Amino acid sequence: MRRRLRIPDLGGARAAILHRPHATVTALVRQLQAIGLEVDCHWPDLPASARAADYLFIDVDTAYDDQFPWEPGEAPLPTIALVGSEAPGRIEWLMNFGADAQILKPVGDGGVYSALLIARATFDARVELADEIDALKRRLGQRQTVVQAVAVLAARGKTENEAYEQLRGMAMAWRVSFEDAADRIVAAAKPTHQDESDHG
Amino acid sequence: MAQVNADPALDIVFNPVERDPQGNIDAYAPLCEEILRDSGARHVIGCTTSWSRKEVIPALERMDGALWYPAPYEGFEASDRIVYAHACPNQHLLPLLDYAFAQFGRRSYLTGSNYIWGWEINRLAREIGSRTGGEVLGERYLPLGTTEVARIVDEIAALKPDFVLNQLIGKSQYAFLDAIAELRRSDPFFAEGHCPVLSCNLTECELGAIGPSAEGVISAGPWFRGLHPALPGNGGREDFGSSLEAAAHASVMTLAQLLNGAPGAEALSLSELLAQRRAAELGISPRTHHTRLPVAIAQVRAGAFVPLRTGAPVEADPYLTRERDPAPVPLRVVK
Repeated sequence: MRRRLRIPDLGGARAAILHRPHATVTALVRQLQAIGLEVDCHWPDLPASARAADYLFIDVDTAYDDQFPWEPGEAPLPTIALVGSEAPGRIEWLMNFGADAQILKPVGDGGVYSALLIARATFDARVELADEIDALKRRLGQRQTVVQAVAVLAARGKTENEAYEQLRGMAMAWRVSFEDAADRIVAAAKPTHQDESDHG
Repeated sequence: MAQVNADPALDIVFNPVERDPQGNIDAYAPLCEEILRDSGARHVIGCTTSWSRKEVIPALERMDGALWYPAPYEGFEASDRIVYAHACPNQHLLPLLDYAFAQFGRRSYLTGSNYIWGWEINRLAREIGSRTGGEVLGERYLPLGTTEVARIVDEIAALKPDFVLNQLIGKSQYAFLDAIAELRRSDPFFAEGHCPVLSCNLTECELGAIGPSAEGVISAGPWFRGLHPALPGNGGREDFGSSLEAAAHASVMTLAQLLNGAPGAEALSLSELLAQRRAAELGISPRTHHTRLPVAIAQVRAGAFVPLRTGAPVEADPYLTRERDPAPVPLRVVK
């Protein structure tokens, strides 16, 4: 599938850099400012306020989990790895921590703009995919409820197929998902005393 | 350089070292490296295509040199080693599209030679057009150097766009303009004044090679012959053949100004030179190394560019990250 890249709005966007003071930071700040971003540099820890930035650059050579106010793999913003050492241990740390794009050090004139575009696109795709997986998992978990709902409706004298179609019709009429409709049917069919205890 | 060397008000003398890559893309980097290695020169003025500019950047980094680039380009670059002395898209393409949308309509056909300039300029045109209700009827590219333009011209004849955005270069462009001139003679829809061909890089220096087929082409640039003044860096001189010459002249004059009255300045890095307040006064941004330039849109009439619209100098925005007043969106007829 061919994707058309959506160019993010970078004018006035904020970038946070977690890297000790170094020529790499100077070059990176210069390039980010040339592109039009505002830059905050942090070292040695990343404050919680960095969550509000639009992009994060991290130094893979020196980074460790405790520097970040979130768990590995859960970065709340597009993250770009600055890779110097290619020692496998460092790459392993990076794989666990997760990054949406990378730039090899030393940082020069090139690479920063494309890393911003790639990181934003990858991050957005990752978030979208995670949401989709959550929704699918939820639906998978509700399979048992659907079976129960079909059984409830079938117990009123319909065939299984008719009960299934009836449930679909209800979901459409109520404008809810198939699974949510099943949930309502099953809840309504529960014995009254349990209903009372639920509200008691 | 002769002008600088003859100027008693400037306390420096330029000593030119010349190398000619003759348009051979593989010769740019070695010759640039040769200049920086075998002579005391630290500043190189030259390159025309984006391709050649990209080729010399590693040599500039390795040998600690600087490039003054006097040609229009597609933007999305801000090298610490380069001064961009000619226009980038917010100084050529964007005003040209504003003009075309207002004057001719929003249905475009995009064409270009198969390399970065044409691809990126047309991608931008598509993106900007789609934001303002434009419609791209077709888009087609030709390999560099080819003159087989019949398919593109047939497509244009069939689609009848409001205008053609042409990023073909060299012989391909000449063949294309010849074929369009022929189409204008045979098809009344394309008669004079209808469906103009637009360019972001056509200057006077190619009009001789194109001949009468250039008539009616509309181009955007920082300056065309006959406009007063030329570029801010030209110090009042206007005797240039094209904006490419004017930008090269402005580069040399600006460099002379930045080195003047500052002993040892020739050893400074480009970013240090441009950090001087006078660099910004001369129109070069220390942030992007791009130049503030006037915007002109002109049409070829009787073998010369005649200005259609001129605008005050505009700050370069190479990554298009700054606010800009978009072209007004016309009301669309809903059927």
